[in-house]
Amino acid sequence: MTAILEVSHVTRRFEGLVAVDDVSFALQRGEILGVIGPNGAGKTTLISLISGTLAPSSGDILFEGRSLLPLPVYRRARLGIGRTFQIMRPFPGLSVLDNVAVGALFGRGGGQAQLAKARELARVQLDFVGLGKNVDQRADELGGPGRKRLELAKALATQPKVLLCDEVMAGLNLVEIEEVIEVIRKVRNEGISVLVIEHVIKAIRSLSDRLLVLNHGVKIAEGDPGSVLSSQAVIEAYLGKRRA
Amino acid sequence: MKTTRIALILAALAILAAVPWFGSDVLVQFGINALLIAVLAQGWNIIGGYAGYASFGNSVFYGLGSYGVAIAMVQWQLPFGVGLMFGVALAAVFAVLLGVPVLRLRGHYFAIATLALAQVMTAIVSNVKLAGQNIGLVLPPLNNDPLFYELSLGLLVLATLTIYWLTRSRFGFGLIAIRENEEGAAVMGVNTTLYKTLAFALSGIFSALAGGIHAYWVTFIDPESAFDIGLNIKMIIMAVFGGPGTVLGPVVGALSLSAVSEFLSSEITSLAGLFFGAVVVAAVVLMPRGLADMLRRFRSMGWRYFAENIRSHRL
Repeated sequence: MTAILEVSHVTRRFEGLVAVDDVSFALQRGEILGVIGPNGAGKTTLISLISGTLAPSSGDILFEGRSLLPLPVYRRARLGIGRTFQIMRPFPGLSVLDNVAVGALFGRGGGQAQLAKARELARVQLDFVGLGKNVDQRADELGGPGRKRLELAKALATQPKVLLCDEVMAGLNLVEIEEVIEVIRKVRNEGISVLVIEHVIKAIRSLSDRLLVLNHGVKIAEGDPGSVLSSQAVIEAYLGKRRA
Repeated sequence: MKTTRIALILAALAILAAVPWFGSDVLVQFGINALLIAVLAQGWNIIGGYAGYASFGNSVFYGLGSYGVAIAMVQWQLPFGVGLMFGVALAAVFAVLLGVPVLRLRGHYFAIATLALAQVMTAIVSNVKLAGQNIGLVLPPLNNDPLFYELSLGLLVLATLTIYWLTRSRFGFGLIAIRENEEGAAVMGVNTTLYKTLAFALSGIFSALAGGIHAYWVTFIDPESAFDIGLNIKMIIMAVFGGPGTVLGPVVGALSLSAVSEFLSSEITSLAGLFFGAVVVAAVVLMPRGLADMLRRFRSMGWRYFAENIRSHRL
């Protein structure tokens, strides 16, 4: 396997707080990499640094061997980096279909210029994430679980090579989580490399090929899910130190 | 449904186009004013209604269009058409030069920054010799109101067709995405800076054309009237009243409000000044998404529509 995305020694400071501290890792082609960590560990910051909505204070991020840092957000999207937002960002006034069509109109390679074709592609993505019946609804009429799926469909409609998922399972019940996991597996099977940030450890354990753990912005573990989750440092980060 | 709609619009257009043949001089003059302000509302609709940037700088474009025509015709003895193009060029350059920095601001900050532009332009133009300083310029008169009327109507049709194109083009979808959520638009690949600047320029071009026609029609301009911020407020009220981000809303808003305002100022003068203030309050409280949205949803919701809007303000 070769790396599609390499994060090397990336640091991001917010006035005194170091949200991401010298983090390095690689996302391999066709893999699902899970990123976990307690609240405030720097997970969302990491995604924002990759997608370009934030700039790192130092370090470099390479996509297919090329540095992303000089590129603005939209150029990264056109290269094939798709992301979802933890705090969902639908276009509330547009229909569910048109929300996703925006992704198809722009997205990787500049997108599809024809609105009718973009809507067709959007329909396919909505079926894919299980929102096929909601195409004509307005985006703000969807409930929480629906919006999570909409976020996924919007990102997928940009035809990404790398999909960055920011807590797409938060707030969902067990059945819904299972369904989203299924969708992400299908995404990977289409050849898209996926980076998943998650709070729900149980869900991410079964989904991820590898896990990366952040705590206070520092990478404290990386490897296969079983051994990472049983490592002492990770248990301490989540549960605190055992008092002797 | 769709064909009847198109037929209705064409019929309305035909009646509007025929006004100079059956209407009085006063009606034609009122028509020119109303059509030009409808163009302004429609122009504002591009940046304010579609891209979601409430611009108070569109009266600057209007002024630049006026001065483009005036300077070209008076100082350089060029034909009107060349003057219009000169005004358009001024507006486009201005939109790009100022749009790039100003469009980085969002919400109220953008509104305030553009509000200042009109004041600055008045001060600048008052000191430019070519523009007649604060005395203004007197254009060669052309006594042909029907011509000005048809020109204005043609411009309004052009502006409306442009907006119709927006609703089904990639560019328009990009603008709507920016309005609904700018960060969300960028991560989907929308070049937000470019799109906002283009929208600002396109919006400015229509304002400049309206300003140019108006200047030639009234044959006199000075900095105060050319860069009148009140005009900007009027176009916003009309666009918002009719329905920002819709194809026909601003036109309906502009024509209906112009008619009521004209009626009031000739019949009940004392109330006329209050009119636009009252419209703003009523529109914002009762129907913040405009006439178009109200007509669409009133049928299914009835009076509950207004109650719901009031409630959503949490007054």
